[in-house]
Amino acid sequence: MTEEAAKNGVERAPHVELRRVTKRYGVVAAINDLDLAVEKGSFTALLGPSGCGKSTLLRMIAGLERITAGQCFINGVDVTEMPPAKRRIAMVFQSYALYPHMTVKQNIAFSLSVAGAPRKTQDERALEVARVLQLEPYLDRRPAELSGGQRQRVAIGRALVRQPEAFLFDEPLSNLDAKLRVQMRLELARLHAALGVTMIYVTHDQTEAMTLADKIVVLDRGRVAQVGSPLELYRQPANKFVAGFIGSPSMNFISVSLATVEGNTATVKLPGGGTAQVGVGSAPAGAAERIDLGVRPEHLLLVDANDASAAQSGRISIVEHLGNVTLLYVDTAAGQMIVEAPGSTPVKSGDVVGLRLNESNVRLFGADGATL
Amino acid sequence: MIAPAIAPQGRRWGTINLGGALLTALTLICACVWFFPIYWALVTSFRTDDESIKSFSLLPEHPTLDSYLYIIAHSKLPIFYLNSTIVSLAVTAITLVMSICAAYAISQLEFPGRRLLWWTILASFMIPVPALIVNHFIIIASVNLINTYAGIVLPLLIAPVTVIVYKQFFDSLPREFREAAVMDGANEFQLLFRVFLPMNWGITAALGIITFIGAWNNFLWPFLAAQDETMMTVTVGIRAVQDTFGVAYARLLAGAVLAGLPVSLAYLLFQRRVTQALTLSAGIKG
Repeated sequence: MTEEAAKNGVERAPHVELRRVTKRYGVVAAINDLDLAVEKGSFTALLGPSGCGKSTLLRMIAGLERITAGQCFINGVDVTEMPPAKRRIAMVFQSYALYPHMTVKQNIAFSLSVAGAPRKTQDERALEVARVLQLEPYLDRRPAELSGGQRQRVAIGRALVRQPEAFLFDEPLSNLDAKLRVQMRLELARLHAALGVTMIYVTHDQTEAMTLADKIVVLDRGRVAQVGSPLELYRQPANKFVAGFIGSPSMNFISVSLATVEGNTATVKLPGGGTAQVGVGSAPAGAAERIDLGVRPEHLLLVDANDASAAQSGRISIVEHLGNVTLLYVDTAAGQMIVEAPGSTPVKSGDVVGLRLNESNVRLFGADGATL
Repeated sequence: MIAPAIAPQGRRWGTINLGGALLTALTLICACVWFFPIYWALVTSFRTDDESIKSFSLLPEHPTLDSYLYIIAHSKLPIFYLNSTIVSLAVTAITLVMSICAAYAISQLEFPGRRLLWWTILASFMIPVPALIVNHFIIIASVNLINTYAGIVLPLLIAPVTVIVYKQFFDSLPREFREAAVMDGANEFQLLFRVFLPMNWGITAALGIITFIGAWNNFLWPFLAAQDETMMTVTVGIRAVQDTFGVAYARLLAGAVLAGLPVSLAYLLFQRRVTQALTLSAGIKG
């Protein structure tokens, strides 16, 4: 199907598209004039904190939520007013929503059954899907007799059997324990690689989004904050919100003042008297403008407190040994900063250390939050 | 560590819990007081007519089935049974279907007047059915349904409690089930009868049994609506037996035992379901 589409030149055309979509609940706008294009066969994650509108967006694509204004297109067809079942999309819910009184086979074949497909077809298709998802031994069990991971697979199977145009996932791994989540993440990635169908995945967990998706849409208060590949978002955040949301531990922000701008290099004054030179794309409006400097924990280097190259110095308040790395919480004149040091770094709480900035990886954010 | 954990158990079995014993004794006395009339009716039905007036012994001196045989031979009891069965089954089936549909619509569908309909059903719950009995009689008589099954059944279909219990059940189901089924292409009927109801047949079974028992035991309306002996239900027909035999206690109580037998059997067979139904509606009846 993918090859055929490529031959027809529609491979890069948006498969799922939202045009100027708004969703209002009374006077509250959950989604505000939003545009989104999802390419055919891509794995797109909708990422954002609770209440940012990501689930609402997914439900609007599914047809479970009415669109207040704007249009939704699937495969070039305007489905804005089309009922969910006719959109040829399938959804996997956070709670799985497996019918508890039906067996795994009946759950998987339910959509075929309500469509009046012959029993033989239902059985064959259910078996086919069960084989793909390794559910064959459990076909006659009820959901209550399955583990969390198996239930998750049944939910995916129920979506798969419909041979949909696109899969929608609404935080499908959030009910699983940490170990199973990692395992299911791999299975989802494998499934996407095998099927090559469009998948839209809602999550608030950046690790899930970063590992699964080839495109991430970061949402903030009903608006798209940035769209890009996982590494683009990590390395070139478009604004302070994305910079702070992507990455764990999150980026450190220091309030600085702009000293000079020469070409694409800005010199900023740091709290405590030091300076730093940071590459910028756009020149800030006023020289004295208050701006934020953002630096990721792994871009801070531990040096001696008296080292001339130290941009900040401070006392370590907490040390977290994670094995491969050690996280240090350092109280500085600019506030608390998190430093990611090698796992074997010989430091302890109370030590006074200097912090050197890896200036090539530092970002500046203007007063409006946009990256400079 | 282990010893103290075992000790209280030993004491519990070894010593008498005075409060518990008193409570048990009180419960037993209450149960005996409640059960004695039933026992007396049962015992009397096995006495001769003469003995039923004179004897006060706890067991019949000359046990006999004469009263039962006489009723079976000289009354229309089989017809009464048939009528009660038809009426009770019809009331149960129609009440359940109507209540399920009404509760589903109010709980799951959006339509103008939904809230008003719900409040009307709740309000109807406040009006005792006997207060409407004259109106019912006039309406049923005006459409010539007296002495018909339809005439007996129709006014017995008012069951707001069943609607309320079902609505609470539908309200309690997570929204995802509905959405998943809608995504799968299910229509409202498929959603109701293939997804929602089968999730808990226990509720339907419990409400079905309690509705059946209520319909079987109903007296006032069938007494008014079934004036012809061939249309009488058991509860009404037994009264006719009394009229026919005068004060023949053994026969009268044998009739009562026969009338109550199916319901008692239903209680015994479906004890758990009946208790469940009573619990479900207890919160509503307050």
